[in-house]
Amino acid sequence: MLFASAAGAGEPTREQAEFFEARVRPVLAERCFGCHSDAQKKTKGGLVADSLAGLLAGGDAGPAVIPGDPDASRLIEAVRYATEELRMPPKAKLPAAEIEALTAWVKMGAPWPDAKLKAGRPGGKITAADRDWWAFRPVVSVPPPAAGAGWARNDLDRFVAAKLADAKLTPAPEAARGVLIRRLTFDLTGLPPTPEAVEAFANDAAPDAYERLADRLLASPAYGERWARHWLDLVRYADSDGFRIDDYRPDAWRYRDYVIRSFNADKPYDRFVSEQLAGDELFPGDPDALVATGYLRHGIYEYNNRDVRGAWATQLDDITDTTADVFLGVGLQCARCHDHKFDPLLQKDYYRLQAFFAGILPREDLIAATTEQKAAHALKLAAWEAATAAVRAEIAALEAPYRVKAREDAIDKFPPELQAMIRKPAAARTPHEHQLAELAYRQVTYEYDRLDKSLKLADKDRVLALRRDLAKSDAVKPPPLPVAFAVSEVGPVAPPTTIPKKGATPVEPGYLSVLDESPAAIAPVSGVPDSTGRRAALARWLTRPENPLTSRVLVNRVWQQHFGKGLAANASDFGRLGDKPTHPELLDFLAAKFVAEGWGVKALHRLIVTSATYRQSATHPAPAAGRLADPENKLLWRGGVRRLDAEQIRDALFAVTGDLDLKAGGPGVATGEPRRAVYTKLLRNNRDPLLDVFDAPLAFQSASSRDTTTTPVQSLLLINSPTLLRRSEAFANRLKRDEPADDPRRVSRAYRLAFGRAPTAEESAAAVGFVAAQTRRVDPTKAGSAEAAFVGGKMPSRDGQAADIKLGGPGYEALLGDAALKGDFTVEAYLMARSVADTGAVRTVAAKWDGDLAKPGWGVGVTGKGSRRKPQTLALQLVGTKIDGSVGEEAVFADHHVALNKPYYLAVAVKLARGKTPGQVTFWLKDLANDDEPLLVATVPHTVTGGLVNALPLTIGGRTGPKHGTGFDGLLDDVRVTDAALTADQLLFTRDGVTAKTAGYWRFEAKPGVFKDTSAMGRDIRPATVKTVVAQDTRQAAWADLCHVLLNASEFLYVE
Amino acid sequence: MTDRPRFGLDSPLARRDWLRAAGVGFGGLALDALLAGETPAAEVKAAGPLAAKPPAHKATAKSVIFLFMEGGPSHLDTFDPKPVLNKLAGKPLPDSFGSVITPMGESRSALLASPRQWKRHGKSGLWVSEWLPHTATVADELAVIRSCVADGINHSAGVCQMNTGSILGGRPSLGAWATYGLGTVNADLPAFVVLQDNQGQVVNGPRNWGAGFMPAVYQGTRLQGGAEPVPHLNTPEGVADAQQRGKLDLLTRLNRDYAGRHPDQTELDARLTSYELAFRMQAAAPPAVDLSQESAATNTAYGLDHKDTATMGRNCLLARRLVERGVRFVQIYHGAGSKWDAHAKLESNHAGLCRSMDQPVAALVKDLKQRGLLDSTLVVWGGEFGRTPMSEKGDGRDHNPTGFTMWMAGGGVKGGQAIGTTDEVGLRAVEDKQHVHDLHASILHLMGLDHMGLIYKYKGRPERPTLNEGEPCRKLVTG
Repeated sequence: MLFASAAGAGEPTREQAEFFEARVRPVLAERCFGCHSDAQKKTKGGLVADSLAGLLAGGDAGPAVIPGDPDASRLIEAVRYATEELRMPPKAKLPAAEIEALTAWVKMGAPWPDAKLKAGRPGGKITAADRDWWAFRPVVSVPPPAAGAGWARNDLDRFVAAKLADAKLTPAPEAARGVLIRRLTFDLTGLPPTPEAVEAFANDAAPDAYERLADRLLASPAYGERWARHWLDLVRYADSDGFRIDDYRPDAWRYRDYVIRSFNADKPYDRFVSEQLAGDELFPGDPDALVATGYLRHGIYEYNNRDVRGAWATQLDDITDTTADVFLGVGLQCARCHDHKFDPLLQKDYYRLQAFFAGILPREDLIAATTEQKAAHALKLAAWEAATAAVRAEIAALEAPYRVKAREDAIDKFPPELQAMIRKPAAARTPHEHQLAELAYRQVTYEYDRLDKSLKLADKDRVLALRRDLAKSDAVKPPPLPVAFAVSEVGPVAPPTTIPKKGATPVEPGYLSVLDESPAAIAPVSGVPDSTGRRAALARWLTRPENPLTSRVLVNRVWQQHFGKGLAANASDFGRLGDKPTHPELLDFLAAKFVAEGWGVKALHRLIVTSATYRQSATHPAPAAGRLADPENKLLWRGGVRRLDAEQIRDALFAVTGDLDLKAGGPGVATGEPRRAVYTKLLRNNRDPLLDVFDAPLAFQSASSRDTTTTPVQSLLLINSPTLLRRSEAFANRLKRDEPADDPRRVSRAYRLAFGRAPTAEESAAAVGFVAAQTRRVDPTKAGSAEAAFVGGKMPSRDGQAADIKLGGPGYEALLGDAALKGDFTVEAYLMARSVADTGAVRTVAAKWDGDLAKPGWGVGVTGKGSRRKPQTLALQLVGTKIDGSVGEEAVFADHHVALNKPYYLAVAVKLARGKTPGQVTFWLKDLANDDEPLLVATVPHTVTGGLVNALPLTIGGRTGPKHGTGFDGLLDDVRVTDAALTADQLLFTRDGVTAKTAGYWRFEAKPGVFKDTSAMGRDIRPATVKTVVAQDTRQAAWADLCHVLLNASEFLYVE
Repeated sequence: MTDRPRFGLDSPLARRDWLRAAGVGFGGLALDALLAGETPAAEVKAAGPLAAKPPAHKATAKSVIFLFMEGGPSHLDTFDPKPVLNKLAGKPLPDSFGSVITPMGESRSALLASPRQWKRHGKSGLWVSEWLPHTATVADELAVIRSCVADGINHSAGVCQMNTGSILGGRPSLGAWATYGLGTVNADLPAFVVLQDNQGQVVNGPRNWGAGFMPAVYQGTRLQGGAEPVPHLNTPEGVADAQQRGKLDLLTRLNRDYAGRHPDQTELDARLTSYELAFRMQAAAPPAVDLSQESAATNTAYGLDHKDTATMGRNCLLARRLVERGVRFVQIYHGAGSKWDAHAKLESNHAGLCRSMDQPVAALVKDLKQRGLLDSTLVVWGGEFGRTPMSEKGDGRDHNPTGFTMWMAGGGVKGGQAIGTTDEVGLRAVEDKQHVHDLHASILHLMGLDHMGLIYKYKGRPERPTLNEGEPCRKLVTG
């Protein structure tokens, strides 16, 4: 039977297929597949019911279906409950209509349409039954039932109580105060409550203590930071492109801040929706509304895709898919290629929705500022432009021929048809051609940004000199205004939208046919003549109070985040494939109230969190009934216990140690920074390891819920990673500060910080005993303090851990004595600079020198912006004997620009001069973020013959000696020094490992140790300030171990 | 320090004690089985989402080793000889071939001859170029698919699709689907393992072996050789063994208390278990990657004694050791970071890469066969696309997703056959086209999974590994 397809009983007619899909397949799927499904590997009684072949073959007792003969078919016998021994489904007899459908189907010969055929919906027709699906029906506010007397705190509870009563269940009592504040604080702010807040709440005897707590938390800025994160999941927000070059999006963060601000300001949801879909059309001149259109931009982008037509279609598909998921909560994505198989979502509807977005033009040049701000800026800029006109003109003239070549080379890479579009004047292009040309032209500007690479030496020197001139006027140059990562439109006429492969049928903007089959009425928007007004129309339709989806979807999402599961379980799919709501009347009640009261999200939160339902304890005093009737707690007969999500865990790790920096807003920071996770750079292809293992979404498509996995990889990270060890030490240090006495009070403080409660007497005794025993177990000879000072970081595009060298820090040193690196030598490293000096000062990567121009030695580093000779490039300084016999400094420079925040491999190979023959320095530099970039090489002659020898240590990331300000700022990794001038084929970049000439190779990995020399030389490094390794304070280490245990504990990772 | 006990269990006795102490309350764990042997049994059954599941139909491949030549090897210089190309060399692509979008825009550049010497090999007489002399010796094991087709013209999209079926990120990789569908027979090792030949980053990074929208338990684990094959596997340097044990003892107590207070949350038992699974992985992973147990003859066969072949040899040998231990899906990136991407100087680029890969790959096929593992192990070779017949920069070739070659061996595949053809110059597949979806459907089929029946519900919608497309290739098994 290998490769044979399932046996079929002839091709069903369209009518038969339609009947099957509408009446039979749903019954089989819902009632039978749970126990009889090949796909789900459930084959009770040997029967599979998800293929005709399965039903024909039947189970242990023989065929289940005899086509054409219902009375002889065991399937029908079973569902009819005709006999005692064969009754299916076993729990309850099917409704009569379903039995009739199955019977009719068997009678017509059991036609089973091939799953790959188009679904049975005829001619895109929508039926009355389709419109009657719960999600498409108008929202009807049902009065709350008269239930829950004595328990209910608000109307919400009455709906819950009624369902519980139906199931003969009783709700759990209210949770203890300590539990409530921890639940509410994590839920509303994403952070743990402080011990002081816990205590204050416990002692607050006022009857409205809890309500005031909720109000306080809703008013705190942390609320917006938490709830923005849920929204950012939905809109696939990230700070990078997500392709091979995972380029940073320098202005995407303004959208993230906009979302945070909107939640904190309790912006009405209808306005929030409108701004994101059509802020530019509906609120022209409002900087926030412009930034909001970043919603349309968070899809992935490939900088070098020459298939521009395909790339544009991908962007529009992404916006369509996301919009349907986020705002409509339907699986319209399925309808991109065919009518939806189960829901009344037509392929036409997909493109009707897409047509609203057909006119957009992605922009990175729109200023998010008020008219006044723009005018003030223009005035200052004009002054600067006047002052610098001549210099800028000369730079432009020098660059002009290179620009032309770069432009032509870039354009030539496109197919001829596209080249023609790009070369046409903009006015001669059709709207669609203009979109494609603009998208393609990004590849030209990409080359403009790299122009320096192609400049001939003389021109480059002149350009650099002119730029230094230009920089003199920086003082009068106004700081740039904020740029929005946003959209505008291509003009008043939108390009046509067509259904692909359907004879390119043109489609006009329109809504879901099941709700409104007529084309959308589009009107030009006032004040924005260059826009179609299409998105404004969509926004208006979505935010009409009677739209049945918008409010239901949002209310359900908010509910989902509070309870872990929505009233409708599939928060982005209200169709037949999702589960129906557990409490449909409650969902409608909340949706109607939400709209009637002005779309305020905070009011909705307040209603939910102050309910008795929300306040229930996770443990029920008599759980037996609930466990039996509702093991999944769908009816909410008790509270839940949930694992914190990735960002909550990360933020809590900083919060409990007192290190969390609560600064709000601004560009994304590196993952190691103690800011809230929502403010860290979210790079799609370089994920933070902690957020990754705790199920942060990928940000490639809209994510409406998160997985909560439990894996050994998480446990290894929690128990063994240097990150957690450092957090534990910081936690112990904080405890020591907070509770100087080394006694149970410190344990109490630890519990209050980590778990939000005091320990029991037994727990306290156990912890004290643990610290005492652990003090004896800690090995004082194991270097604790030196390694504790090491700060690691993750370099993008690289494996493993790098050393994070902070500006002003001394760096690391290895004692080489005068035995090595005095003849020909090579220094290699991976680096990513966070900053360079504003002056010309060289920031040291590695040196064997104290910076004294009169003393022998050498140093390799990156020059500052103000370097007179070569700004922001690799430099080697040598102090030794020259060919002419003199002794002094010689500096040589590579010509390659070292960009900030970009990972590079670098090598500097020094071949000394011999006799009268000049020596040679070879610089290599490789941009790791872009595989297309070559390994750049520059060869520079020099005259130093030797005399470099000194007894100083080799320093990494800084220089020895009194001169400050020469240390590196950024990440360094895999530093290798070799007692030979390596050639291209011997470089670390292509040939990992050590050779006989390797004088030291430091990789900064926890294994075999961050300071270990992995070469045979055994030249371990140490922080340059720590001269001797201090023995561990075993007592403090034991406290850190207690902290480490608490940070690993379920009680820290879960909230009830 | 490779043999230092991890989690501080420095004697068998101590470990027993710890396991006993820690084991109370571990939900459903086969603790006795674990205590029975001093090293954990080679195959311990997994529970939960990774529990071994029966295939949908009889599987001929229990495991897959996917040799990913990253950057796109030239089919025209390895397995798909094109005499007409050499005749037309120097002339532009004839107009009859229509328009072509190439990343570097040289679609009308002169056709570039392939100066290979081609010979037929084995009983089957498969064509293999002189760049792959070792692979040629296993020609009778190979089903060479010359008609592969993909959608992405750039590396990112191409590598993404070859892994996940889609040119856009966000979907689960094939290894994740296989793990989801079949689970694992050895809970002590990751079910889906990734190896690469250098420290560079594979295009797109780890998301190539990610679980996409499925839970992270199904994602691939990047395995490195040496003392710490899995990140954070070992007790950190500076932490004494007794100290680590002390921490774990207390942690177990706290977690057991907490789970006891919340009996309705089975997830809390899973968290307790996860620490023990971590411990078992600590015991099982280092021996799995310890190549010192291999004979000198094996090392030589894989090319470990030669600097050109040592890296790929080690990875291929590791792959065999992992498959022996029940690992479901092993992926080896050769040329990680698009090293096969010969836009220029194809001759020197490919000659070196072929040399570094050829002997180890052939040794892997032979070794598997000799150990009786080839019958149950599918070996797949190929890149994200092939290369154009047109030249680029005079001596290179651009990306070509419209027709390229991959091969499969073992795991029920009938060897010694060539499937499909490309046109006369090797630009487009013309006969028996095998889209990536078809290739994935075939791989899954050989593993006993039906690409249409393997469904994961995401956001309530049924998602399938091949995006509802593709068909398994019949000829792979029938010839």
